[in-house]
Amino acid sequence: MSDPRDNVQQEFLAEAQELVEALSRDLLLLDEAHQRAERPASSLINGIFRSVHTLKGIAGMFGYKHVGTIAHALEDLLDDLRLGRAEIGDPLLDVLFDSVERFQRLLALEDPQAAEEAPGVDAYVAAVRSVGTQPAVEDGDPLHQYAIGQAVLSVLTEYEEHRLRACIREGMQLYRLRATFDLTAIDDSIEALRDVVHDDAEIITYLPSLEGGNDESIELVVLLASRVPEPELKAHFEGGYGTVEAIEEQKHLPTIPPNLTSIPPGAQSLLPQPEDEMGQASLRSVANSVRVDIRKLDDLMNVVGELALVRSAVGRAVAGLDGDPKHRHSLRELDRLGRGFERQLSELRTRILDVRMVPLGQVFSKFGRIVRQAAREHDKQVRLVVTGANTEMDKLIVEELADPLMHLVRNAIDHGIESVDTRMRLAKPAEGTLALNAYHKGRNVVIEVEDDGGGMNAQKLRERAVSRGLLTAEASQDLTRQDMLNLVFLPGLSTNVEVTDLSGRGVGMDVVKTNILRMGGVVSIASEQGIGTKITVTLPITLAIIRALIITVGPRLFALPISAVREAIPFAPQDVRTIQGRKVITMRGETLPICDLARLFGLRGAKPQESRFVIVCEMGNRELGFVVDELVGQEDVITKSLGSTLSSVRGFAGAADLGDQKLALVLDVPALFSEYFDGAEALPSAEARA
Amino acid sequence: MTAGAQRATLVPDPASEDAAIPVLAVSAGSETYGFPLSTVREILMPPPLTEVPRSAKHFLGVIAVRGEIITLVDLPTLLNLEVLDRQPLGRVILVDVGEELIGVAVDRVVQVSQLQPDEIEYASTMSADLSEYVVGVARVPSQSPGDADEMVILIDPRALLGGLT
Repeated sequence: MSDPRDNVQQEFLAEAQELVEALSRDLLLLDEAHQRAERPASSLINGIFRSVHTLKGIAGMFGYKHVGTIAHALEDLLDDLRLGRAEIGDPLLDVLFDSVERFQRLLALEDPQAAEEAPGVDAYVAAVRSVGTQPAVEDGDPLHQYAIGQAVLSVLTEYEEHRLRACIREGMQLYRLRATFDLTAIDDSIEALRDVVHDDAEIITYLPSLEGGNDESIELVVLLASRVPEPELKAHFEGGYGTVEAIEEQKHLPTIPPNLTSIPPGAQSLLPQPEDEMGQASLRSVANSVRVDIRKLDDLMNVVGELALVRSAVGRAVAGLDGDPKHRHSLRELDRLGRGFERQLSELRTRILDVRMVPLGQVFSKFGRIVRQAAREHDKQVRLVVTGANTEMDKLIVEELADPLMHLVRNAIDHGIESVDTRMRLAKPAEGTLALNAYHKGRNVVIEVEDDGGGMNAQKLRERAVSRGLLTAEASQDLTRQDMLNLVFLPGLSTNVEVTDLSGRGVGMDVVKTNILRMGGVVSIASEQGIGTKITVTLPITLAIIRALIITVGPRLFALPISAVREAIPFAPQDVRTIQGRKVITMRGETLPICDLARLFGLRGAKPQESRFVIVCEMGNRELGFVVDELVGQEDVITKSLGSTLSSVRGFAGAADLGDQKLALVLDVPALFSEYFDGAEALPSAEARA
Repeated sequence: MTAGAQRATLVPDPASEDAAIPVLAVSAGSETYGFPLSTVREILMPPPLTEVPRSAKHFLGVIAVRGEIITLVDLPTLLNLEVLDRQPLGRVILVDVGEELIGVAVDRVVQVSQLQPDEIEYASTMSADLSEYVVGVARVPSQSPGDADEMVILIDPRALLGGLT
C-alpha cells in the first residue's frame, strides 16, 4: 500500500479537482445566462459560492496557501454577487473563468508551499478585488438605461443605489432638480425641500453641482424619483427652487463597455496567455483518480466470487482424470496452471478490497469545525486531538460512521467536558481535551472517542433506568458498575435530563449502538467519575469479504468471522459449571461463559460432547465461547444478505457461498453476543422447535 | 417490474382483444397452484438446500442461484394446508415478488394455461375464507383425458412478499 501521507494528498487533490470541475461547469451556465441577458438563478450563484468556499476550506487544511488565498478573494466577490452587491459582467466573468485555470495550475504543483512556482497570485487577487469593488456596470442593470452619469452613480451609497433601483422597478420617473441653496441655511433648506417633496417624490440623493454657486450659495443636484407627471412636478418646484429635468430612459443606449480599465494594468498582463508553458497542464486532470460507485466494486467482487467457483469446478473436472497414465504430464501442467490462477484470483480480490479503503481522516476532518462550534455554543474550551487519521477502512463503513461518531463527539462536549469555571475549581486545565484515536487491532479497526471531562455517574444511570421503568429495582441490585454504565445504551435513557441543543435531539446512545452493531461492530464504554469517559468502537475493516472460520454444528456448515475469534480449544464437558443460570468453563484461571450453538439453533449435535470444540470469541471487552461440533478450516467468504424475507431471523449476518452451491450461514457475532449478555430478546423459536 | 403490474396480470385487460392470462400451474402437496407466468423467472432442478435455524416453518431454507441467496418457501405450509403424501422436492420456481426473487418449492410443474377471465373465480366474490395470498381459483382441463377438471389456486406474488417479511 502506498504512503498514507500520499493517500491523504491524493484524496485532497481528487476532491479539489472535483470542486474546480464543478466550478467550471457552473461558470459556463452563468456565462450562458449572461449572454442571453437573463438573471442567473440564485441557486447557481450559491452553488458557485459553495464550491469556492469548500475549496478554500480544504486548501487551508492541506497547506495549499495560494489556492486558499485566491478562493478567499473569490469568495468575497461571489458573496457580493449573491447579495446583489455586484452585477455580472464580462470583467467579473473573466476573473472567474481565469480562476479555474489558476486553481488547476496550482493544484498541479508538486509542492503546495512553493510560492515561486505560483506567479501572479497577488496581482490576480488584486484583480478580483477590483472587479468586486467596481460599481455595478453592465447592461442588465436598469441604472445604466438612464443618463444619470457615472460621476453620480459612483458616489451613491449602497442604500441609495438600492432605492434608486427599487424606484425604477416601481416605474417611477427620475428627475434631476437643480437648485441653489444658501450656504448658511443649507440644512434647514434641505429639510424644507424634503417636506415639500414628501408626498410627490422621493429624494434619492443630492450632490453639489460643479457649475453653479458662489461664496454664499451652492447649487445642488437633487436626484428625485416621482410618479407625479412632469408638468405638475415642474410647476411645483420651478417657482421657488430651480429647474427640473426628467432623466430619460435610454432604451437604445449602448451598454457601457466592460470596464476593463478597472483591472489594474499589472493584473492584465498576468491573465493566462495561450503560449504559457503551463497552459497545457491545466487542461489535464491533476489527480490520477476516478470516483467509482461502490456498487460497481461489489459487482466486481461478485465476479471474483464466480471465478472462484469456476476454478473449483475445473479442479474437480481435472481430478476426474486423475490416475490415467496417458494424461500424467498434462495433469501436472493443469495443476500448476490451476495454482497460478488461484494466486492471481486472490491477488485480484485483495486489489479490489484495497480500492474500497479510504482513510478515516475523511470523517475526522469534519469534526474540527463541529468541536469548535459546539465548544463555543456551550462556552467551553475544548482541544481536539486526532491520532490515526490515516487508518484505512472500507468506504461504506467510513460513510456510515460519520453520524454515530458525530453523536459521540457532541456528547463528549455537551455532557462530558465541564465548563471552564468548573474545571478551574477542580484544578483541571481550563481547556478540556477530546481525543479521537484510530488504530488497527488484528483484522479490526478500533476508534476511541475520549474526553477528560466529568465522567459518568453509574449510580445515577441506574436510578434513572429504574425511574423510567427500563429496569426493576430488584434487578438493578445485581448490576456491576460496568453493567450500570452499559445502561446508557438502553433506548429512552440519555445521560442528561435536560434537553440541550447539542445532543438532546432524540437520538440517543441506543441509536449509536444499533448503527455500530449493524455494521458488525461493537461499542464499549469506560468512564471514571471526575476523570473522563472513553467510548470504544470496534469495527471490521471491510464488510464485503471476510476471513471466516468454517465450523459445523449438527449437519450444518456455519462461518464465524475470524475477526471475532480469539482461539479454539477442545471442549471438556466435565469442566462445565453453572453460575447464575449460565454455563461457564474455566480457561487459564478465567471464567468463560459458553453457548452451545446446537442448543441455540435447535440442531441435533452430530458429535459426542467430548470431541466438540469451544471457539473463544471476543467483542469489545467481552468474551464468549461457542460450542461447535467440528472445525473445517479457514476461508475468505463473501457475505450475502439473506434478503428481506429472512431478515428478521436473529443471529445470522448472511450466507456465504462455499462453492458447489454449498452455503454456510455467517454468524452475526455482535448480535449473538448482545443476545447472550443483554438478553434483549428471549429466544423462543429455537426452544419451541427443538 | 412493479408489484402493481404483477397483480394486474391476473386481472383481465379490457382493452386487449385476447384477454387470456398465461398462468404457470405447479403442484405442491395435494394442490395445484397457479402463478402469473410473467412473474416466473426460472424453473430449476433443486440446488442443495441450507436450512436456516430459528426461521418460521414455511421457510425451507436458502439456496444459491448464480451467486445470489434465494429463500425457499413451502406453499402448503404457508397456506396452512395439510399435505397427505409429501413428495421429495421436485422443482424450484423462481418468482419475482416485487423487490426480490423468492424460490417456491414444488413437486412438479403441471402446465402453462391460458386462462380466460370468465374462467377465474376471484376471491373477492367468494364467500369462502381464503388466504390473503390467493387471488382466486380457476378450473383447467385435466391433462389426463377422462379426469375431472383441475382446480388451480391462483397466487398473488406481491401479497406473498408482504406476508413473508
